[in-house]
Amino acid sequence: MCKGISILRAKIKQELYEQHELARRVTLRGEQEELHFMYTDPVVELPVIHHGQLVIYEWGNRGNKESRLPRTGWCRHESLKAGKWRWLEPELVEIPADFGLEKGVWFQIVEGIEGVVVCDEHEHPHVYMITKPASHYFATMTKHDRMPALINQEI
Amino acid sequence: MIGHVDADCFYVSAERVRFPHLRGMPVGVLGNHGACIIAKSYEMKAAGVKTGTPIWEAVPLCPQGVYLKRDFTWYEVLSRKMLAIVQAASPRVEFYSIDEQFYLARDWTLDTARRLQSEILQRVGVPVSIGIAPTKTLAKLISDTSKPFGCGIVLDQHDRQELLAGRPITDVSGIAKRNAARLAEHGITTCDQFAAADRAFIRWLLTKTGEDLWWELNGISVLPIQMKRPEHKFISRGGSIGAASRDPARVRAFVVRNIERLVEALTHYKVCCDHLILSLLFTDAPERTLRSSLLGSQGDFDALLEAALHLLPLAWQPPTAFVHYMHVIAANLRPVARRQRSLFEQPKLEDIKHAVNSEMGRFALRSGATMPLVDVYGDAANAYDICDIYGKSCF
Ligand SMILES: [Mg+2]
Repeated sequence: MCKGISILRAKIKQELYEQHELARRVTLRGEQEELHFMYTDPVVELPVIHHGQLVIYEWGNRGNKESRLPRTGWCRHESLKAGKWRWLEPELVEIPADFGLEKGVWFQIVEGIEGVVVCDEHEHPHVYMITKPASHYFATMTKHDRMPALINQEI
Repeated sequence: MIGHVDADCFYVSAERVRFPHLRGMPVGVLGNHGACIIAKSYEMKAAGVKTGTPIWEAVPLCPQGVYLKRDFTWYEVLSRKMLAIVQAASPRVEFYSIDEQFYLARDWTLDTARRLQSEILQRVGVPVSIGIAPTKTLAKLISDTSKPFGCGIVLDQHDRQELLAGRPITDVSGIAKRNAARLAEHGITTCDQFAAADRAFIRWLLTKTGEDLWWELNGISVLPIQMKRPEHKFISRGGSIGAASRDPARVRAFVVRNIERLVEALTHYKVCCDHLILSLLFTDAPERTLRSSLLGSQGDFDALLEAALHLLPLAWQPPTAFVHYMHVIAANLRPVARRQRSLFEQPKLEDIKHAVNSEMGRFALRSGATMPLVDVYGDAANAYDICDIYGKSCF
């Protein structure tokens, strides 16, 4: 699966950066700054390309028991296809990312991950990451049997 | 004088060409099954990760590291670009390995080496180190010690002594562990000790291969720059089969896969073989290697597969052992044109397979016996491996 992502700081507009107080997400391990978004963070959110715009949305529903939304951050591709999410009117989106993290292993992401955006009862958008059964390679790398649905990329 | 060009952490550098944001990060490239590190950046090396380290050992050593899937098709593109630049700079070039070339250096100043180095960096994007010396062995040794992104020259006796003094003999490519152990029994552990040893003694201990290295380390060139790949003594295909297995269908499927790859290589080099060797490595039993004589010289799938499947149960002893690595090796090679024909020869399906696959992609048409390997064939990247890059003089 994918418990967190990293995106290059340079891809985020200054306005968005300030609006969402993203400075606390900055890390540096190479020549370029990155922003890390983890499902275990105090504020759970992800960058999303929605209607052609890069925005930041809440990632799934981690702990709100009152909400009608599924209490997870991931959406199985199989469930989506079976229509189990239809009542939420999910919209397919892209979660742009440069790296993903699973079981402590950082792997490369070339374009991004497929996601769905659904709205809660207050019309607030939430994004869920779409997952698929892991490829043999990914499963060996991360020891996880699910992987994110990568866009135009095979691991 | 002979020059040696060697890319610095080549696979990682190749990835940084298309993904520049990987620069400065600890990066590891994983091998065919996603389990082992086959190349690491200097940042990852500094964290203690070595080539061959399994990912589950690398991650605790280097938790900030980024782990990438290998892509030999891309690495070959850059490798050929590098080769072309060196070929433009020198009339004699040997394509030694995917990221190394030897070349005839007509002009041996540090300046020309630096110019070649920056040309490769600018036009290919890959940093290389260059060594120039009177022999191939010294040139490779000095380029190795100049890494990363360095240039070194062995001009005279003094440079040579400085390079060899105290350097472990295992730094010389061509001195494998077993030979190093033999030398150590006689108190020879460093390059300078080796070069100062008696030539006849080295020949006695390590045969002609050892003697060649002795001359080379003493500054006398005996290993020429090979512009054409030397003829094969044997051709081998195989490697790890992923997680060790004792499932007969799976192991058999790997034999079939490797025979298909072997037949491709034989076809490419226009050779056939008189012998087939099957070698199995187990996790819980000693390695076993068996040879089978073929009926006449063979290069087609059916004949080689039959021989391999005949050897399989004989080599797989005990039958409960877990197979981990496998090699199928064609030996006693001869050009197809000069092969011994068998009386029982039949027309070949092989040609049809070859025609279909060159049109539709490798393994598009393949033996049904490879069906248990859904995981292997399901991943397009497994269609291309480092040994599929033809023309290199080394592995
Ligand atoms: Mg190299």
